[in-house]
Amino acid sequence: MNEQEKQRMRCEEFEIAGLDLGGIAGNTAQEEEAREHLRECPRCAALHENWQLLRDDLRAIGAETGNAEASGRVELRLRQEFRNQHGTTKMRRAAVIASWALAAAALLAVAVTWTNWEQAKRNAFTKSSGVAAVDSQKVTQQAKSSAIDETAPGDETLLASNDSEDFTLLPGDVPGMSEDGTVVQVRMQRGALGALGLAVNEESATDWIQVDLLVSEDGQPEAVRLPQTSGN
Amino acid sequence: MTARVASGDMKIDPIVTDDVLLRKSARGDEAAFTELYRRYQAPLFRFALRMAGNRWAAEEIVQDVFMTLMRDPKKFDVERGTLGGYLYGIARNRIMKHQERLPRELPLDLEVEEGNATLAKWSDEKTPAQWAELKQRREMVRHAVMQLPVEFREAIVLCELEELSYEEAAAALECPIGTIRSRLHRGRALLLAKLEILRDVPKRVSAGR
Repeated sequence: MNEQEKQRMRCEEFEIAGLDLGGIAGNTAQEEEAREHLRECPRCAALHENWQLLRDDLRAIGAETGNAEASGRVELRLRQEFRNQHGTTKMRRAAVIASWALAAAALLAVAVTWTNWEQAKRNAFTKSSGVAAVDSQKVTQQAKSSAIDETAPGDETLLASNDSEDFTLLPGDVPGMSEDGTVVQVRMQRGALGALGLAVNEESATDWIQVDLLVSEDGQPEAVRLPQTSGN
Repeated sequence: MTARVASGDMKIDPIVTDDVLLRKSARGDEAAFTELYRRYQAPLFRFALRMAGNRWAAEEIVQDVFMTLMRDPKKFDVERGTLGGYLYGIARNRIMKHQERLPRELPLDLEVEEGNATLAKWSDEKTPAQWAELKQRREMVRHAVMQLPVEFREAIVLCELEELSYEEAAAALECPIGTIRSRLHRGRALLLAKLEILRDVPKRVSAGR
């Protein structure tokens, strides 16, 4: 490597590192070499001088906008957008929570209503069963029992149970009044039951039947029973 | 970059780190988001202004940067770098897109917000002719900077106009310091070559290498 080549190489190095003498601060050996080259090489000295002028211009341009910042409008817009975004998220979350709460409340209401209805049904059944206790015998108003008048099935008449254990209250009588009543066995025509307020099939009105009457202390019949043995 | 205490009703401890503020912001804390904005908007705005060349574009870029941060804060990974570097990265992308749309049509804005301050201010020490020459020269320098390729312009803007150290510029651009040195060298060479008409140097650096 001759002297010229050394010089050219040093120029290339200077272009990279020597232009920025401030930037190689701390590397004193390199800085010293750059300064030495600057003294020896007029081309690089001119280059350095020009760069310093250009740098001054660049710094001046930089200083011109050194305090520039975005206008307040940008901050306002961003904050508004931020509120919108997070407000929407919060509202969506609140809506989801509210809908779940509503659904849960509706479910609870349905469950409570159903429980109450079941309870009421059970109570009604218990009450109707309790009414049946008259004296030592039971009287029931349940329609589940078979028809009183088996000779006329399907008639829309007041039905009394054929069960020999059950009495059917006569219309107008209040359950429980006949705790000390007496059972009287009578033989009568079926049509006479009409006088007690019971509907009678006219076709069989003249039939003689055996009837148990529950008679209260004042002699008034309160309930009636048609024993199986009475036949029709 | 130093933190400022937020004004008004929003008080944020200035020593709160960026990632803490970002987490709070992601949970809907407006004060935290505003503090982050105030920490970074000015340097980002200046960078965008010097890269894009006009205020409205710079404001749009800054707004886009923070919109991106607001909409998807989880994209920032503290393990991968600083929030400043991340925001500069978004800004660079936006600047690229902006310049694809409007390729160097608009001059660098000469005015600062308050007072219409121009680059070469009149002073008693200069004659009108000197003042006019200075103004013209700086206008040419500004134009030459705007004509640099983006990667060299970034280095010149950060290290010469913004006067960041190589380390700070490397952090902002998320690249090694060697890359900054190299880009700066090439950028300077290109600038000198573009402005050769102004200078009296017989033969200069080989900008085209």
